[in-house]
Amino acid sequence: MTQAMRIEGGMVDRERTLAFSWNGRWMTGYRGDTLASALLANGERLVGRSFKYHRPRGIFSSGSEEPSALVQLRDGAAREPNTRATTVELFDGLSATSQNHRGPLAFDLMAANDLLSPFLSAGFYYKTFMWPKAFWERVYEPLIRASAGLGRLSMKPDPDAYDHGFLHCDLLVIGAGPAGLAAALAASRTGLRVILADEDFVPGGRLNAETHEVDGQAGADWAAGAAAELTANGNVRLMTRTTVFGAFDHGIHGALERRTDHLADAGDRPRQVLWRIYSRRALLAAGATERSMAFGNNDRPGIMLAGAVRAYANRFGVAPGRNVAVFTNNDDGLRTAEDLSGKGIEVSAVVDARRGNVVVDTIGRSGIRAIRLGDGRRVETDCLAVSGGWSPNVHLTCHHRGRPVWNAEVVGFVPGGELPPGMCVAGAANGTMTLAATIREGHGAAVGISEDLGAKGSPGTPAKAADEDCAAAPFWQVAGLRKRAWVDLQNDVTTKDVQQSHQEGFRSVEHLKRYTTLGMATDQGRTANVLGLALMAEAAGKSIEETGTTIFRPPYTPVAIGAFGGRARGKHFRPFRLTPSHNWAQENGADFVEAGMWLRAQWFKQPGEKGWRDSVDREASQVRKSVGICDVTTLGKIDIQGRDSAEFLNRVYANAFLKLPVGKVRYGLMLREDGICYDDGTTARLAESHFVMTTTTANAVLVFRNLEFARQCLWPDLDVHLISTTDGWAQFAVAGPNSRALLSKVVDGLDLSNDAFPFMACAECSVFGGTPARLFRISFSGELAYEIAVPARYGDSMIRALMKAGEAFDAVPYGTEALGVLRIEKGHVAGNEITGQTTARMLGLGGMLSRSKDAIGLRLSEREAMNADDGMRLAGFRPVDRSVILTAGAHFLNPGDPADMARDQGWMTSVAYSPELGTSVGLGFLRRGKERIGETVRAYSPVRDQDVLVEVCSPHHVDPDGVRQRG
Amino acid sequence: MAEIALEAAPVLGGTSLELSGNRIVERDDLAIVSIATPLGGEEALAEALRNGWSLDVPEPARSSLSGTVRAIRTSPDQMMLIFPHATPDAEAVVQERLGGTGYTTDQTDSWIALEVAGPDTISAMERICPLDLQSFEIGGTGRTVMEHIGAMAIRTGDDAFLLLSASSSAGSFLHAVETSYRYVT
Amino acid sequence: MIINHPLLGPRDSAEFVVLGDACLIDRPDGMNAAIEEMHDYAYIRDNPAGEHRELWYHEQGDRSWLVVTRSTLTHEVIEVELARNVARARGRSR
Repeated sequence: MTQAMRIEGGMVDRERTLAFSWNGRWMTGYRGDTLASALLANGERLVGRSFKYHRPRGIFSSGSEEPSALVQLRDGAAREPNTRATTVELFDGLSATSQNHRGPLAFDLMAANDLLSPFLSAGFYYKTFMWPKAFWERVYEPLIRASAGLGRLSMKPDPDAYDHGFLHCDLLVIGAGPAGLAAALAASRTGLRVILADEDFVPGGRLNAETHEVDGQAGADWAAGAAAELTANGNVRLMTRTTVFGAFDHGIHGALERRTDHLADAGDRPRQVLWRIYSRRALLAAGATERSMAFGNNDRPGIMLAGAVRAYANRFGVAPGRNVAVFTNNDDGLRTAEDLSGKGIEVSAVVDARRGNVVVDTIGRSGIRAIRLGDGRRVETDCLAVSGGWSPNVHLTCHHRGRPVWNAEVVGFVPGGELPPGMCVAGAANGTMTLAATIREGHGAAVGISEDLGAKGSPGTPAKAADEDCAAAPFWQVAGLRKRAWVDLQNDVTTKDVQQSHQEGFRSVEHLKRYTTLGMATDQGRTANVLGLALMAEAAGKSIEETGTTIFRPPYTPVAIGAFGGRARGKHFRPFRLTPSHNWAQENGADFVEAGMWLRAQWFKQPGEKGWRDSVDREASQVRKSVGICDVTTLGKIDIQGRDSAEFLNRVYANAFLKLPVGKVRYGLMLREDGICYDDGTTARLAESHFVMTTTTANAVLVFRNLEFARQCLWPDLDVHLISTTDGWAQFAVAGPNSRALLSKVVDGLDLSNDAFPFMACAECSVFGGTPARLFRISFSGELAYEIAVPARYGDSMIRALMKAGEAFDAVPYGTEALGVLRIEKGHVAGNEITGQTTARMLGLGGMLSRSKDAIGLRLSEREAMNADDGMRLAGFRPVDRSVILTAGAHFLNPGDPADMARDQGWMTSVAYSPELGTSVGLGFLRRGKERIGETVRAYSPVRDQDVLVEVCSPHHVDPDGVRQRG
Repeated sequence: MAEIALEAAPVLGGTSLELSGNRIVERDDLAIVSIATPLGGEEALAEALRNGWSLDVPEPARSSLSGTVRAIRTSPDQMMLIFPHATPDAEAVVQERLGGTGYTTDQTDSWIALEVAGPDTISAMERICPLDLQSFEIGGTGRTVMEHIGAMAIRTGDDAFLLLSASSSAGSFLHAVETSYRYVT
Repeated sequence: MIINHPLLGPRDSAEFVVLGDACLIDRPDGMNAAIEEMHDYAYIRDNPAGEHRELWYHEQGDRSWLVVTRSTLTHEVIEVELARNVARARGRSR
């Protein structure tokens, strides 16, 4: 395929021909092309259909502001809709298709919408789809969904990798045009650490698109030289293909770097990297965006911004047309004619609105063929270059709610109000519209920042250039329009919509935006907003200054959700914590459950077991019958040392701790300051000033945080020190009547008899001939039980050795489910009961609360309402029909009462099937529960559709007197 | 049961990876002992460190090195000693020289140590580490969060760091570090 | 957000956990305080538009509790102190 519109010159590499496919047809372009420039080189003017009216649309701009040339890239799962052809770097094998049409692009069946345009004006949906109400879900919404949107998602998981990262600099320069390059050069020379980011793949900004000279050489060459110096300086990270999309608090900026989008094969490397940039200062040098004017049928393919026409001719070596007309309201537009003539492209007309000349209409179907002038003349043209002036890219200055201000000389909004702290602006983004001034401003800003930050090097002198003519006039729309004139090409908003919105009373710019959709979607109205505001101001008879502008929010250009997700997907969505016996458990049929970040064995399936209940019943029974072993490493462990450790513990636990003897463990209850329980656990005193605390798995981090708070903020002069040892010790519960016999084969030389090592004893000891260990005689199951800990490095070896030692007793490993069964049978409270809404009295632990000391939460636990005798109390429950399986979450009702909240008697918190008792058992809170043992109440669960009678009993279903654990 | 003896196993099985000229090595030969400073006992502890190891108490965000023993400051009143040591008695070894001037806790098993080195180390680490590692001096340390996992970084050379992270999530941490190298090389 | 840690320099707020009003340092003595006083300590907070002193915990750092003086209007961080020092200065000891 020939590139019929390719002309001499430009920055494309003609040695590197690239083949790409457009709507299934293969074409060629060159390295250095964008998809847009390659399409234009191949004479493709019609590239898409508009959002609402399905009007033929072409390439309008040459950058990220593109409203019209939205295309789909790639195929299959990697398909990406709504990408701007003007920013897509061409590579060999690129496949792109047009979007938003049914049937071929040139004969879109949906184009009929254009004929309906009188009905599809602003607010159409709001007014039309109001009634009948029933039609909304079944008729209107499906219809709208089918016709709305632009491209189509693949509906498959994104196959590409994304990543994120963190960068640090003294100065972040946003935009590598003349101002940004000048600033980066000066800052780098003074010694600052600089990041220079630009969304383009070549630094230089407009220098690459214009014919200006800098320092006596072509602007593009100077830019390349400047980039080379920056790279050589060693203190600059020059990031092309990187869009700084947001300015956040304290100098943090978000940036998206497109790493491999321009490569035919990225391997497994991430496509895009989302950077969090920490900068001490930021300089916004993002340039300006050209805008259009409102005239009849100003949306046809071939109508292009004048600056884009120059970019295609000068940078890409592409003639956007053979016979170009120019329509302008400023000096900048005139340069287009000069540049094109210089390239040998015919210029058929230069229409300068400032002299009263206007284009009133355009002619053509799938592309422009001619224009009609104000005096009625028709001029043939295949490309109309329009310049309605330039709008400074102030977006990032608004991200902390700074409001841009209107500058009549620039004819645009310039940065105003309070900028994000640490940010300043230079060049066209600041309303400095000429080249030499822009370079000086960038340089000057960097010099100022370097001085502020104490950089000592010499910044050198700014590059020399001329200031071009830039006079502009506030001309917005052709008077007496009879044809439709577009304001926002992407959202199909016309001048009529803006007028109508005004007539219907939408007086605020923010309302105009919401009502007409002006300035929404992928381009955020970058070529449209100012025109829309100007028309609104005209309609209201106000100045643009009075009308104001909508606020800009991040992101500056769209960022794929995948980039925000980064690596966090699939099984690496979040980290896992593994217990020391994990590998062994895996080898032994364990099913794992997530407990926070931990993976814990929930049961160990044996051959022949059909469901989880078989495994859990067997494990729980075997613990009660002989002995079982459970990895309890996940419980939080906190090493507490210091002269005042006992005093400290006495203030953070609601029960007494001051006099806990060395070699003993005590159960402890922690309250919040409001008197509600939030955690429980055991604390062992290993030495006079050395304790080891355990917390629940879920609250390990919170308890540590609260203890540090108490230590640093409440009692800063107590000598007490905390360090987490959760991961340091592999800890195993050994529970059951044979636990002592088993451990006596494990522990070296310690008398484990009940007299020598009674219930709630602890000791530092060794196991298996010398491995250091800690032994605690504590029981969560109600059986004779211990917990034994060894340094985690021995954990895997320890579980294997314990199981070997336990062979004589048919010891079983048990998981979290059996652990739960055992504790429910025993009536021990856990997370289901300590919910952050329950008091010690409710839990049946009211007697633990000390009355003779100050500890966190004690004072407010005395409040009347929390101590009322008719309050909820922990009780046990069993179904009257023993074959019924109880349901947690069921509410209790007195038999005969209707099921309403006024008569609510409490709720079931935990249930389990008790193999010991051969029935389902439950724990729960029942009003005056302690006094109602023996009563029968209803357990009613409308959610699970259960309504059964249960018998109230002691929460201690098994061994209520605690004989076994003390035995 | 004298016939059974427990064996120590490195958390990551002694992982050693080579990735395009960069290395990730699990250092399972290091012992880690935390030392908390008794309130009012700062000087006695400093003297014990000097006498015991010729070590100064490191400033915040710094470490000090004496031979193969490194002290890193982990909080205003805590530091950690890291040194090659094979048996599970590191705390006793440290306490012997401290003579009760500091509260010690064996942290060897709480942490995993990864030594990362090679030309792409800074580029790899900036994908996961919010700290400005590039501007760390050698010996500089920082504790932060990488990929939702708490971690410490100590610069040990121009392009070498010792990374410490919780042993229970070591697999996820290694994955994070390894992926970073793979993504930049 | 960046919090300029008094010992460690600027750190990303992602390393911290925020607790809220620094008045939580001024805990009444539970043995002697009136229940109303304890109630106010537990529940009553100012919600100023402007300067606010807050407790932040450097959980993924050196485990220091900090008092961060911050503008709730602009997010400007005005001062950062070690909470332990603040507590001592406010008369808290053992």
